[in-house]
Amino acid sequence: MNTIRLEHTFPEVFANRSDLSSEVWQQDITFQKGHLYLVEASSGTGKSSLCSFLYGYRHDYQGIITFDGQNIRNLKVADWTRLRQRHLSLMWQELRLFPELTAMENVLIKNRLTGFKAKKDIRRWFDELGIADKENARLGQMSFGQQQRVAMMRALVQPFDFLMVDEPISHLDDQNARTMADIMMEEATRQGAGVIVTSIGKHIDMNYDQILKL
Amino acid sequence: MTLIWKLLRQHISALQLLGFFVANLLGMLIVLLALQFYRDVRPIFSQEDGIINNDYLILSKRISTMGLASTSFSERELDDIRSQSFTKSIGAFTASQYKVACSMGIEGVANFGTQMYFESVPDQFVDTDRSQWHYQEGSDLVPIILPRSYLAIYNFGFAQSRSLPKLSESVISMLDMVVVLRGNGQERRMRGKIVGFTNRLQTILVPESFMKWSNSQFAPESDTAPTRLIVEVNNPTDERITQYVQEHGLDIDEDKLKAGKTTYFLKVMSGIVMGVGLLISALSFFILMLSIYLLVQKNTQKLQNLLLIGYSPLRVSLPYQLLTIGMNALVLVLALGLLWWLRGYYMNLLWAMFPTIQETSMWPALALGVVLFLIVSVLNAIAVRRKVMAIWHG
Repeated sequence: MNTIRLEHTFPEVFANRSDLSSEVWQQDITFQKGHLYLVEASSGTGKSSLCSFLYGYRHDYQGIITFDGQNIRNLKVADWTRLRQRHLSLMWQELRLFPELTAMENVLIKNRLTGFKAKKDIRRWFDELGIADKENARLGQMSFGQQQRVAMMRALVQPFDFLMVDEPISHLDDQNARTMADIMMEEATRQGAGVIVTSIGKHIDMNYDQILKL
Repeated sequence: MTLIWKLLRQHISALQLLGFFVANLLGMLIVLLALQFYRDVRPIFSQEDGIINNDYLILSKRISTMGLASTSFSERELDDIRSQSFTKSIGAFTASQYKVACSMGIEGVANFGTQMYFESVPDQFVDTDRSQWHYQEGSDLVPIILPRSYLAIYNFGFAQSRSLPKLSESVISMLDMVVVLRGNGQERRMRGKIVGFTNRLQTILVPESFMKWSNSQFAPESDTAPTRLIVEVNNPTDERITQYVQEHGLDIDEDKLKAGKTTYFLKVMSGIVMGVGLLISALSFFILMLSIYLLVQKNTQKLQNLLLIGYSPLRVSLPYQLLTIGMNALVLVLALGLLWWLRGYYMNLLWAMFPTIQETSMWPALALGVVLFLIVSVLNAIAVRRKVMAIWHG
């Protein structure tokens, strides 16, 4: 998958809003593979909606979204399953981790599906992100900042053409944010993937190809 | 243990599953036991083992209180009986329409006389040696078959009380018998010869050819529609016979239908018991479905997240499907085991009472169990899948 295109797209809830001024909604924009994007937003502008539309679990938008020219409204269940395993990765703002599992298990549950990373690579990430001692801790016992790092690792243990990260560093200090950005970009560059980062304020300081105001 | 299972087993209620398990086991066992018991007991009442063995039934119309309604069978009624699936062949009793007087004696001295009647049935229904069973028109000799019970009545009732000699079948056959036929303004004396005795037919039989000739000779105008029928049936225990006889207001020898009624009763009882078993099975199925629905409901968030990180609905449904199928399989195995054990228990009782009965196979019960298992499992799997798809679609 090389391009994600939004043609005059906007959330249905905004249908009656006349004051919509956005560089994404109701515009024609294209995300290219291999590029780095920052989508800046104030709250309530539909940042998470954008992620959910692109990830295929909400369809309450108007306009057209295409992957490589194919309207995503026509994708079937099996298509989305394949996309989520091989082409598209999302790190949710609300993380969507499993509190019943340990930190490592939360990453492995995805890695076993894709068989993408060796366990030692995952261990190295744990180490670099400073939570090596939390590998076998139940997720419910970890802070939100620590959980964000686990969620990032889970987003990276799969092949992808586009990686979307929704508010990835909201609870991280600068040092850990930097480390996480490095790991993320290392993986994305290696895969030649496009990265779409969203943020409502604090964002990773990186060399963005394009910054869009939502 | 896979991570998915570690996630999805959260909120499984052991108590609910136990409730399902017990209920389903009970339902399944009752269904299978009813079928097996029916199959095991039926041979006792059916004719194959010879405990009750009657291929022939005698049908007549029930005589009304006033005795006025016609008791003869029309052609249409005969055809109807002939077309029933239990009927192999059918023969009409034809009664003599003229007066018959008969006297018996030894060496020409008549010492026993009575008014009587003749009946005939098609020759194929006569169960004695038929070598002398024919009538030559113009001949004076009439072959006669008597019911064996008449001889018993004479020997043990009449002869006993009058100090008369008891007669064996062969002695009777040697008696001189004079038969006088009267009707249509004619009279004719003939010689009767008793050629045999029958258990099957409670009447005084003459060959059908003689009956045709004599009725045309002595009562040419009379209606000869049959009033009694002899029916050869495939299986006298067939409960359809009982039903037919009741629906059409016919009379039939009670003894011969007892087995049929018992079999019918057995079938109805087994049917009711099986129905109850199926009902319990159905209820247990709903317990399981409710339990699974509740489980899916409580784990909706986990299921949704699994789907979002790329697990297919198939993979996500599988653990719950395997859970239900595994439980159903366990229920099937246990039910069959219990069936085998219970059957051993009652078969010992049956063998003690009826040493000759043949052992029937357990295959049909096994097949029924497997069919039930498949139906319930497929429905379970579909229901789980639908629930997961509902989560997919939000």
